[in-house]
Amino acid sequence: MRTSLINSLLFTLMLFLIPLQLQAKDMVVKAPPESLGKYYPPESKEPKWIQQMHKMSGNLGGVFVNLREKDWDNLDKNADQFVESYKEASEMVPEWEEYFDLKAAKEFAAAAKTHDGEKIGKAVGAVGKTCGKCHADNSISVWTRFHWPSFHKIKITDPIEEKELDFGKYMGLLSGTFKGVTVNFKEGQYDRSQKALRAFKSRFMELKSTCSKCHTTDDVKLFYVGENVAQAFDGLQKELTAEKPNPGNFWKNVGILGKQGCKNCHLTHRSYAMIQERWEEK
Amino acid sequence: MKVPNILKKTVPVAVGLVVLGYLTLYFVINQTPQWIPENLTRLARQADLLENPEAKRCFECHKEIYAAWKKSRHAIAWVSETYIEDSENRSKEKCLPCHIPRQVKNGEKPQPRLDHRDDGIYCVPCHVIDGKMHGPYDLFSPPHPTQKNLQYRESKFCGSCHEKTFEEWKIAGVEDTCQSCHMARTESRLVQKPVLSWLHSKKQVGDHSFPHGEITQEDLAVTGEISGKEFIVTLLNQKIPHRVPTADNGDPRLYLYVRFLDDSGQEVDRFKEILAPQQDTALLYGKEARFQYPLTAPVRKVEISLQYKPAWSKDKSEWRQLSYPVTGDSG
Repeated sequence: MRTSLINSLLFTLMLFLIPLQLQAKDMVVKAPPESLGKYYPPESKEPKWIQQMHKMSGNLGGVFVNLREKDWDNLDKNADQFVESYKEASEMVPEWEEYFDLKAAKEFAAAAKTHDGEKIGKAVGAVGKTCGKCHADNSISVWTRFHWPSFHKIKITDPIEEKELDFGKYMGLLSGTFKGVTVNFKEGQYDRSQKALRAFKSRFMELKSTCSKCHTTDDVKLFYVGENVAQAFDGLQKELTAEKPNPGNFWKNVGILGKQGCKNCHLTHRSYAMIQERWEEK
Repeated sequence: MKVPNILKKTVPVAVGLVVLGYLTLYFVINQTPQWIPENLTRLARQADLLENPEAKRCFECHKEIYAAWKKSRHAIAWVSETYIEDSENRSKEKCLPCHIPRQVKNGEKPQPRLDHRDDGIYCVPCHVIDGKMHGPYDLFSPPHPTQKNLQYRESKFCGSCHEKTFEEWKIAGVEDTCQSCHMARTESRLVQKPVLSWLHSKKQVGDHSFPHGEITQEDLAVTGEISGKEFIVTLLNQKIPHRVPTADNGDPRLYLYVRFLDDSGQEVDRFKEILAPQQDTALLYGKEARFQYPLTAPVRKVEISLQYKPAWSKDKSEWRQLSYPVTGDSG
């Protein structure tokens, strides 16, 4: 009975924290406040803001874990530390001061110390709302600004021209070279298509080096530019040098490159890169 | 001027005693340092040496090793422009453990440190372990306690950070270690500050500039031949027991350029290969890499050029040029 009450409380807490982010149907992703920059590298040696969030959420979650386990000593400690870490967070970013409600945090801690699940459940609502509101307004922008790599800062040396290009320009070049392969094939100009394929392969494989600047494990590289992609390139080459190229095989391999190489990467990275680009434009 | 008799007798004796004393001390320090009472040695300890000092503190005694290290890429691991650019102004956390290690242990990935970051990879993270200065020799060293540790001669030690290269070396299965080539030993003194520099015998000291080494023609064989309607270039890494080039996260490259020329010396076609660890195209030890190029037009000469670009530079340097005349019908 008591366990189910606590589980309901946890569920309620999650309801407060997560779905609030979904309330706003028309979302504006504003760049985060300047002052937040000092809590992230390179200004800070460590990502202090996210560490503070973990600390706070650890204390808050700790109260409910301790409640479930009837570990009252630790529950009291977590309740006090929650107020402390909540207060610390409220003082870190002046632009966000109004998101915080210290009174609600203190009332939650006081309720927590009664060790009464019902009272705790009621009290967490008010303070949980403050977390949820801030997350709903700012999570995406903070993650985009501080946790995703900045594509616009990446430079790539084009393996064909051996000139250093911005990431966006390079992608445009890559896409243009790819079209050189497919358009010429459609027109039956296989020699030209083959020449374009050579350049496209070289430019495509160059991304292995670029991606490895962030993706240090081989798994990611193998996923985007691994065996399947290498086989697709071989397949395209085979068709283009055949006496009578088979369009079915050609387009099947184009599809593999498009899905495995382009689409998967774009699905993961493009939205964030687009937001970053828009901020940069300002 | 007349020398007093007393001096005539005492000076040679004094000189003799000094020489004898020096020889005795030299013998004891180099051969039987355990005879020196520990309490006496402790009086000369300089406690700050074990409290993560800056590299220039080590320079006060180890001038030659410091000068060599200062020339190395290790010394600029934190301040190099390439590193700053590639790590997005040092914001990539994954780079920190090896660019500013707190302590390098045999085969373990280090943790990053917070102090003296400009020194990059320097004396303290590699040599100070548990309050002692570790190295390949057992030494009498009053300023700081020492500990003989032969791990410094093992490739595994370098493998703490150079993980991929270490794996490549293991697969190569050769006896030479990383240190054999990149820390070649010469006879020298560890200390260049009196009085220890007068009292320590010479030792085999590793080159702390960690030289990169030049690729010789013996190391890397390059051949070109016509086979039917194709020109085939073969590269063979014969002697370097890791990939060429190699790097864990850097992007060194070997460029292979192949140009086909006609009767009038005009370029008919050209090809390029990028041999790079990050593209999985670097040359494996003992394994041939073959590149086939179609001869689509009449060709009279094939020119091959190999150029090297280190990870820390955008410039390439010519490593080797070869030229193959083509006789008979081609293309």
